[in-house]
Amino acid sequence: MIESILLVDDEDLFHLVFEDACSLLDITLNLSSVSSSEEAEELFKQWFSGEIKKPACVFVDLNIIGSSFDGIELIRKLNFEYGDEVVAGIISSSDEEEEQARALKAGAQFWIIKSDEIEPRLEDFKKDYPLYKERKGQFKIYK
Amino acid sequence: MVEVREETKLTLLEIYKETGIGLEGNMLKLIDSSGDDEFSIYIRDCIEKDKEKRKKRLEITKQVQDQNKELIKAKEEIERVNEELRLSLVEVQRAKENVENDLDVLQKKTQYELINTIVRVALFVIIGVGVTTTILYMVSMFTGKDTQIIGSTWSNMFGILLTNAFSIVGTIMGVKYANKKD
Repeated sequence: MIESILLVDDEDLFHLVFEDACSLLDITLNLSSVSSSEEAEELFKQWFSGEIKKPACVFVDLNIIGSSFDGIELIRKLNFEYGDEVVAGIISSSDEEEEQARALKAGAQFWIIKSDEIEPRLEDFKKDYPLYKERKGQFKIYK
Repeated sequence: MVEVREETKLTLLEIYKETGIGLEGNMLKLIDSSGDDEFSIYIRDCIEKDKEKRKKRLEITKQVQDQNKELIKAKEEIERVNEELRLSLVEVQRAKENVENDLDVLQKKTQYELINTIVRVALFVIIGVGVTTTILYMVSMFTGKDTQIIGSTWSNMFGILLTNAFSIVGTIMGVKYANKKD
């Protein structure tokens, strides 16, 4: 089980879907969600200064509507400005290779395609998580 | 794991038996129920109930999510159709203006042609009267007849015809100028 997860996604309904899926699949018991890149970056700053505990894993939506930068930029900031101890990846309905290459360059460790049937992908991710945690897992796209 | 006191266990079991209300949420997965069969069954039941509720909520949330996506698509389609209608309206407005302009030009052209015909007929009449009077005057001169009356008539007639001709030319120029101004 993953100790704690942060989800960054502008779609509030997906927060509920993700929370229930994670609970049903025993992925984590501690899930928090934010709706914008700015809110997430604010949390990163607090982790960086040691005010709050870092989550073990961060799931970021690619296009976060209403935010000044996208999910890939957020992952880049997380990896290059706030330390890279957190497992981070993209969760998006997009399957564009160019964006996936950008995400890999920014330090994303996985890319999960968001669709109606998200549970099997999350289950696969759960199996691979120990490798990501040890930084041994290859960048993987869960389709 | 969280260990629960015997008293609390009994209270929880009693509430569950009497009202059917049990513990809910992820906290259930952290409770240590080993060594107490009745409490283990209680926790297992509560976890099952919680899972059922979550499954149901997940299905409903997904349905709402799908409906939301469809609504967004429908909204985008309505916006696209509205934009098309707006563009069509602009085109119709432009076509209407063109037709009005063409009609105006056509009306002016018809008016101008009518004036041309009137002027041409008037000029033919003027020239015809002038030529006829001149011929009569010349015939009178060459045949040695009295030219006193026809002479003065010819000069009067010629003066009037010239005046009228200039008046017509002036009118034509005025009409042309007025049309150009429009």
